Amino acid sequence: MPIFQMWLVTTLRGIKLVAPFMESKWGWAICESVHFIGLSLLIGTIGVFDLRLLGFGRRVPILALHRLIPWGVAGFVINIVTGLMFLVTEPDQYIFNPSFHLKLLCIAIAGLNVALFYLIPFRKLGSLAPGAPPPALARAAGAASLCCWITVIACGRFLTFYRPVPCDKSGPGLIATCIPQRHAGQL
Amino acid sequence: MTAVSSWVRDSPSAFAFPMILTLHTIGMGIVAGLNAAIALRVLGFAPSVPLSEAERVFPALWFGFWLNAITGVFLLLGYPTKALTNPMFYTKLALVALGLVAQTRIRRRVIPASATNSVPWRGKLIAAASLVCWASAITTGRLLAYTYTKLTTI
Repeated sequence: MPIFQMWLVTTLRGIKLVAPFMESKWGWAICESVHFIGLSLLIGTIGVFDLRLLGFGRRVPILALHRLIPWGVAGFVINIVTGLMFLVTEPDQYIFNPSFHLKLLCIAIAGLNVALFYLIPFRKLGSLAPGAPPPALARAAGAASLCCWITVIACGRFLTFYRPVPCDKSGPGLIATCIPQRHAGQL
Repeated sequence: MTAVSSWVRDSPSAFAFPMILTLHTIGMGIVAGLNAAIALRVLGFAPSVPLSEAERVFPALWFGFWLNAITGVFLLLGYPTKALTNPMFYTKLALVALGLVAQTRIRRRVIPASATNSVPWRGKLIAAASLVCWASAITTGRLLAYTYTKLTTI
């Protein structure tokens, strides 16, 4: 029995802070629209920076392009906030959704990638000759970042197609793909 | 056309409707995101990025546009009644058109006019309008799913 996941759903459902907004007629739709705007900001700035690391647009100085990154971070923060709003309103549609699991995993990998990028290759970018290729680690970080965020977008879009249905009596397995019901013998 | 329509609507494959939607979302990220980056630069953020280099971005913008035009046509073929009887759909198309006008104006007029990297105020106005257009296009697109009145029959 996915005890942890069921506890998570119950706890999240108890957070009523944004319920009046999310349950209003246009609340959910507005939240989704803002979520999409956030993703566009992220792709347009961080995606472009990743492409620059990979060698596209060599005449643009890397560190100058880096000045747009805060807008991508703003997009990310917007999406965390709106994402949490979805999560606390309909937790069982996400906690038991394998597409959501993959999405979270890719966000975590992207986060690790960012940490590694700033810890190691970033400082070398300042001493790079104009137009010279960045160090291999920076290029790898750019590629990983791009792959992660595109997968995150795809997983987000696939959420509705992997939405779990109520489980039958056998209950969910290790990767919970259905929502446990209160059958005899289960929690 | 009916065969394509049925395939989009009824195919259980993840490479049909789900993939079309996902590609449409990625194209949206490209067009709206890159336009946002250009608009932000024109408005004065990240000023050390040479504005003339923004020209390199336009092929990618048109790739994103055509990706969405093609996936959009498939979506329309799948649910024509749903889209064509929804005023919000026409609003979205109009906003996309306006966004493209702003994008082209920035490319043909604003960037060449910003010779010493300082942008005339009219250019900043167009950049602001671009941001509004693309954000509104995203929103109207999202609202399509909530505002349609007819699904398959008139």
